[in-house]
Amino acid sequence: MKAKTAQTGTVGQAIPRTEGSAKVTGRAEYVHNLQLPGMLYGKIHRSTIAHGRIRRVDTTAAQALEGVHRVVTGEDIRAAVSDPHYGPAFHDQPILAFEKVRYAGEPVAVVLATDPHVAEEAAARIVVEYEELPAVFDEVEAMTSKAVVHEVLKPAGTFPDLKHLQGRRNTNVALDYRLRRGDVEAAFKKADHVFEHTFRTQQVLHVPLEPFVTVVEPGESGVTIHTSSQSPSFVRIEIARLLGWPENRIRVKVPYLGGGFGAKLYIKLEALVTVLALITRRPVKIALTMEEQFYTITKHAATLRIKSGVTKDGRITARACEVWWNGGAYADIGPRVTQKSGFTAPGPYDIEHVHIDSYALYTNLPPAGALRGFGIPQLVWAYEGHTDMIARALKMDPVEFRRRNLLVNGRPQATGTVMKDAAIDTVLERAAARMEWGKPCDPGTGTIRRGRGIAIGFKASISPTTSVAIVNLYADGSCALYCGTVDMGQGSDTAMAQIVSEILGVPIGSVTVVHPDTDVTPYDMATLGSRSTYHMGHAVRLAAEDARDKLMALTREVGLSAETAPIRDVFRKKYGMQAGNIVGTGTFIPTYTPTDHDTGQSANVTPFWMIGATGAEVEVDTETGQVRVTRLVNVADAGTPINPRIVETQLSGAAIMQLGFTLSEKMEFSAGQCTNASLAAYRIPGMLDIPPGIENEAVESAERGGPFGAKGVGETGTFGVSPAIASAIEDAVGVRLMSLPITPEAVFRALRAKQGNPLKDN
Amino acid sequence: MIPFELVEPRTLREAASLLASGDPAVRPLAGGTAVMLMMKMGVLRPARLVSLRAVERRCSEIREADGELRLGAMVTLSALERSPIVKNLAPVIVRASRTLSNVRVRNVATVGGHLAHADPHMDLPPVLIALGASVTTVDPEGGRTIPLETLYAGYLETALRSNELIAEVSVPVQGVRRAAYLKCTTRSADDWPALGVAVVLDTEGDAVREARIVVSAATDTPTRLSAAEEALRGARADEKILRRAGEAAAAAANVVGDEHGSAAYKRELLRVYLARAVKQALASKG
Repeated sequence: MKAKTAQTGTVGQAIPRTEGSAKVTGRAEYVHNLQLPGMLYGKIHRSTIAHGRIRRVDTTAAQALEGVHRVVTGEDIRAAVSDPHYGPAFHDQPILAFEKVRYAGEPVAVVLATDPHVAEEAAARIVVEYEELPAVFDEVEAMTSKAVVHEVLKPAGTFPDLKHLQGRRNTNVALDYRLRRGDVEAAFKKADHVFEHTFRTQQVLHVPLEPFVTVVEPGESGVTIHTSSQSPSFVRIEIARLLGWPENRIRVKVPYLGGGFGAKLYIKLEALVTVLALITRRPVKIALTMEEQFYTITKHAATLRIKSGVTKDGRITARACEVWWNGGAYADIGPRVTQKSGFTAPGPYDIEHVHIDSYALYTNLPPAGALRGFGIPQLVWAYEGHTDMIARALKMDPVEFRRRNLLVNGRPQATGTVMKDAAIDTVLERAAARMEWGKPCDPGTGTIRRGRGIAIGFKASISPTTSVAIVNLYADGSCALYCGTVDMGQGSDTAMAQIVSEILGVPIGSVTVVHPDTDVTPYDMATLGSRSTYHMGHAVRLAAEDARDKLMALTREVGLSAETAPIRDVFRKKYGMQAGNIVGTGTFIPTYTPTDHDTGQSANVTPFWMIGATGAEVEVDTETGQVRVTRLVNVADAGTPINPRIVETQLSGAAIMQLGFTLSEKMEFSAGQCTNASLAAYRIPGMLDIPPGIENEAVESAERGGPFGAKGVGETGTFGVSPAIASAIEDAVGVRLMSLPITPEAVFRALRAKQGNPLKDN
Repeated sequence: MIPFELVEPRTLREAASLLASGDPAVRPLAGGTAVMLMMKMGVLRPARLVSLRAVERRCSEIREADGELRLGAMVTLSALERSPIVKNLAPVIVRASRTLSNVRVRNVATVGGHLAHADPHMDLPPVLIALGASVTTVDPEGGRTIPLETLYAGYLETALRSNELIAEVSVPVQGVRRAAYLKCTTRSADDWPALGVAVVLDTEGDAVREARIVVSAATDTPTRLSAAEEALRGARADEKILRRAGEAAAAAANVVGDEHGSAAYKRELLRVYLARAVKQALASKG
């Protein structure tokens, strides 16, 4: 720890996770463990119908139950907050439903009691009378349905590209995003072949093993919100807006999260629990059950139509994509998914003529938002399935067909932004090499048939977003990093500490990462979209460099040698004792050019691109339709990893999560009511479902704009999994599945249909 | 969930007496894995749970008596899985136990609770019925013996009265009989099955003398497939015979669809799994 810092070599090392030991020994801090004196527990009464007017909320029986402190309805909330609607894109979601309910499971009333079991029992005794309204569940039907979910559209005003929707009536379209490049219709006419396919994906859930939980403590002049959130800064700003308070009266604290995956973004329980605490003047806690997570936020089901014009030698000349996103009853961040992911709908291919229409739709289902990939896995499912089917129809090798059309650095993407530092070709080649694509694959025998498939996808980082960091160097040479990035299991504490350690030349153990506390840690847009390593990583680097420069200046000022003086001697010489601080700050926001409303064109649409390819080998049981994934190869461009081991586990974790979305997970609905809302009835992959061969590779790459050449990786492993498996199944048994999930029954039915003997239901 | 009373009687008979009122809000609690799920779903709202954890120690014993394997009702599924006695007397039970749900469930779930719950997706009922097991019950007056094959009355319904508890399961030893249990899960590996097929065969050379075949999960109750048993009796189980047995099973079984698969699909699975289970039994060393 000399004043003149030397590179420690920490960055680029597979440093063990700094919080690992606390977690496995049960010592890590979570909001679920928090109890405060006088705290009330809230339990939510939820709508039993998908769409209807609330005629009456009868709380008599609930209020009469011994131990009940208070029952709160939507009307009570409205009396406390003049406009109780929140949301990041639209101010459309009421803190508790009033006048109308828009999905089965929507919060309608809350019971508060000191005993959570009493609150739960009382919540079950609330009786709500509804006048049922026609409901719409399908995203394509929602385009034209008579059932309208919201009377009027209310964009939040945060995003300029939603302003044109202000005040629109009688529509379920929450965003109609379009991109136009060249002339697709003319190109289709000239093409040797035109292919068109429609794909579907299902509604699924994040399933963080720690369900949503918020505790709010009312204070003298403000509130403290302890919450399991990925976006503490957003929570503060949005609560301040709802209450009409300045930001400094709201303190948001976030410890570790037991998983987030995009579920715990924006406002979830925070507005409700804050208002309950203000009404009762008592600390209030609401901790959802695993079952209630199914009624909170989900991943978009989508219908995707994709059409391509291709020359006879295998060049894609034109592609038209129409995407309908099923956003559920409240917009959440769905309109951003529609746009920010929508513009990559043609895939990582160099196509002259592109036409995209991407629609965010309201329906009467639980809301959909961000989930590990922000819409990209749905798009890749369509464009890689489509691409593979074209290659097969042209009797071309699927990898070779992709090679001929790949988007390379220096060429414009569909938005017009010229690609840079995007190792699309390297990622494809490494995946193909690991799969030994050039060699034939064992086709299997008897009732077990083998096949393989490969798929590649890409994602633009969401832009423009801001991160701020502070490094506080103490007088003994140890330091703290104040950083709003939420470590929800992705390992950001370790990676950020590595950056500080590297720049200040101090051991990793001398760096404490102070968890988000909006009274202490500075602004960060949110922990989402694989943005933290790049954006916060930059801010942390700048803050550490600022601290280092100030330390150098102080060393010179006190007349010590930067080469030999320990840091503590510099402070001691300056202050006469172990005293004082050096505070370094860093702020980062990348450059950005907004997209044109009519054409979707932008010269600078993203700070960086994430690229992921997956190769899959499968065995298909031809008698039962069962699919066993025997090998999953995940290759990514993650820039130059700050911590290669964490990058590897992010890739495998993301791929396994997407494996569940591919083969088994699906929220089932009956008249809008989710019928499998539990871990017993909604199956995520267990250890026995993990493919025996799972390999992960971050290719040699460097993101010149990123800290130490790094870029984001949290979602990349999801991109290629589903279409690679579907292509491997086609390779094995000659049937193409175009809807997710690929259940054994779906494969069996496809096999029987191919044999001309479709399975009859009787 | 409203607060409920938990009582912990010291004998099974005392437990049966505590259940004698027939009040549906008073229920027995063994391992609790099914009870907890039903309480979380709100379909069971007990006023009192009668815990069986403190009943006689012999209810947790595995032993051999009178040429039979005897399993106490409070034996956990993991104890069953690890028991050398079970491995010796009825190895098919050990093989089936290893694939049953997951290790956390197996560590607490009990044999008696597993059988009395009467969810058709349970794995042991078809295996034990195929082996010819019976249960001995205790009630306030005494008790009785019920062949397991006749225990099940419908979905989540048994012939047990509300004050009657399973005390012990008697399983004829497997001996030279060849047996297999195959199940098909359609979502995750540790999901409840879409279909289970248990097969126990008396063989002579490579011919089947007698077959006992039971289907579960695809039907409302675990069901003997006598038509398929008949097709195998006295025959060599070649592809033709197996196909005939599968057809007979699919035609006779009252297959119902659920979240694991449609009835039409499960009927196809039954054909395939029946043949595979017979083949696996014949290939086993007994």
